[in-house]
Amino acid sequence: MSIEKLNSFLAPTYENFPKGRMISLVTLRTSLSELILRTEGTGEPMCREFVQAGSTGDSRRQVVQRLVMTKRKQVAPERRKGREHLRAYNLLYTIKKKEEILTCSLNTNAPCEMCIDCFLYGFAAGGGGAQKSRIWTEDAFSILTATDTLSDRTINAIFETGTMRDEKGNASTALNTSEYIKPGVHFLDVVTLKDVTADEFRYLTGNILLTGRYGAVSSRVGRMENQILGIFGGIAELPSSLELVQAIHDQFTTIGTPLEHPLDNGDLIDATKTVIASWTNRRGVSLQLSDEELAAVIADVDQHWSDAEREAFLRRLDQSYEPFRQVGESKKGKGKKKETAEAGS
Amino acid sequence: MPAQLNLLDKAESATTPRFNTAKLVELWCAEPVFFASRELSDTYYTEGAIGNYALAYAFGWARSPYRLTSSEAGRPRYIEDLTPLNHECYVLPAWSANGSPTFRFERFNALSDAYWYAMTNNRVATAREDVLRVRRGDKPNTFRPSNYPQTGRLRLIERNNRFHTLVFGNHDIPEYIRLGKFMSKVRVQILEEMPITNLPAAEYSSQAYFSTADLPSGINLLSFDLISIPPTPLVKNLRFHAEAWQAGNFIVPANLQFCGGGVQSGV
Repeated sequence: MSIEKLNSFLAPTYENFPKGRMISLVTLRTSLSELILRTEGTGEPMCREFVQAGSTGDSRRQVVQRLVMTKRKQVAPERRKGREHLRAYNLLYTIKKKEEILTCSLNTNAPCEMCIDCFLYGFAAGGGGAQKSRIWTEDAFSILTATDTLSDRTINAIFETGTMRDEKGNASTALNTSEYIKPGVHFLDVVTLKDVTADEFRYLTGNILLTGRYGAVSSRVGRMENQILGIFGGIAELPSSLELVQAIHDQFTTIGTPLEHPLDNGDLIDATKTVIASWTNRRGVSLQLSDEELAAVIADVDQHWSDAEREAFLRRLDQSYEPFRQVGESKKGKGKKKETAEAGS
Repeated sequence: MPAQLNLLDKAESATTPRFNTAKLVELWCAEPVFFASRELSDTYYTEGAIGNYALAYAFGWARSPYRLTSSEAGRPRYIEDLTPLNHECYVLPAWSANGSPTFRFERFNALSDAYWYAMTNNRVATAREDVLRVRRGDKPNTFRPSNYPQTGRLRLIERNNRFHTLVFGNHDIPEYIRLGKFMSKVRVQILEEMPITNLPAAEYSSQAYFSTADLPSGINLLSFDLISIPPTPLVKNLRFHAEAWQAGNFIVPANLQFCGGGVQSGV
């Protein structure tokens, strides 16, 4: 399968020091239901920002307000998706803290430091150690402006009597208007993977493709679909998602397609592919997978995440960290020696 | 130790600058940048400057490992990582290109991956079975306050800010770098390449920012404003009496080097 095409940018095994191998995924995230992305709490407006509409000529002087999907709102649901499966196959490790035995869990100050998720997405302030994340996301921008893509919804939660008043005649306070992002809004995003192995790549890509809900109250709204439009390899990063969105704005202007909601998925994908086609000319970006190769890589990922192969795949990836688990568990002096040898290599 | 002292003497007595050219570099924030410069209660402030140690790592001049183990986690490695660069390159802390950086506030909360959770004293509790104990009046461990942030506010350097800095030496600079706690994307552009001329010891004032640990020994600091941030405080509006390097309109103290070459720091 053509994941081999990426081999020179994939690590043969996990290594502790960076070696400048970068794989970048150009990801299109499309909202499929009402979506709420905000950083200031309930009742506050959606995350949005004033930015230049495009990057050339007149569009550069035109300022528009675009929606923003922040980095942490992308990565958190994606790593949770992976962790669901790690939990299902008992691949999350336990740590002993005081008298309690804790299973690896996000945001509990007790990462197990051993599981696939800990190795890939990182952790801090654990048992005296830290792991950097090898997945870098970026704030993703909507193509269209905030005014085109936002709407209001009024919610009223009635009592069981079916009215806004309870048996004692008190009025319900559960009446509220809140803003939401319409279905069919496109966000473009550049995800960078550093020094990942082939299986780690499959795990990460699977997490992105399998995650279907983002933002607030994710169990009821926030349906989103992810598509990978481009895979690049190199020693440097791709342009930022803001620059990508600006270039697409310019591309739409050039071909004369109006930018209005709802934006046609196909038009957008064509425009994106046109923009990213020239990116291998940039310094440090040497490889872009062709459409066929990209499809083959996605098929390869789907294959590994299929019911038949998922467990074996996750166990194999889990097993690949075994040498690094033993360093931590052995006697202190011995462990240190091993680390220095590794650092020198 | 004596060998290192000799090195320092050599560098100081040299009449020619260590670097022939300096580059004026612009950093454009494609994303909001966050450093925990100051922590006030549950608000985490970023100062309007970018430390030069952070830049040296971000440029890829020094590499730090993906995983830090307990013996290394409690201690920075600036001296080991950065002082070997001293004869090849140096970078100043970056200052706002228009003089006043803009900031934005963001609220964050960190929730668990459990289906059930409760917000207790600065802690997200996930053990549903403990609720019954709490109702009985117990205070189980899972409900006690914790000493790591679960919610709070961040002050970040806003997207679209531009910072300038001077890069000495010929080490490569990538086109895009990642900065800060959230690995924010920043574009790097070289604006101008300028030759460096040596100026004799005299009184000068400088518009650049400096890391206090990197100033040469024997410099006479007459006046400055201090930005107190970890790992080393920065100074701006510096007036000093010492030898200087001039690059374009910038005058900086001569013989700047990471961690003062590791000598003044007592290594």
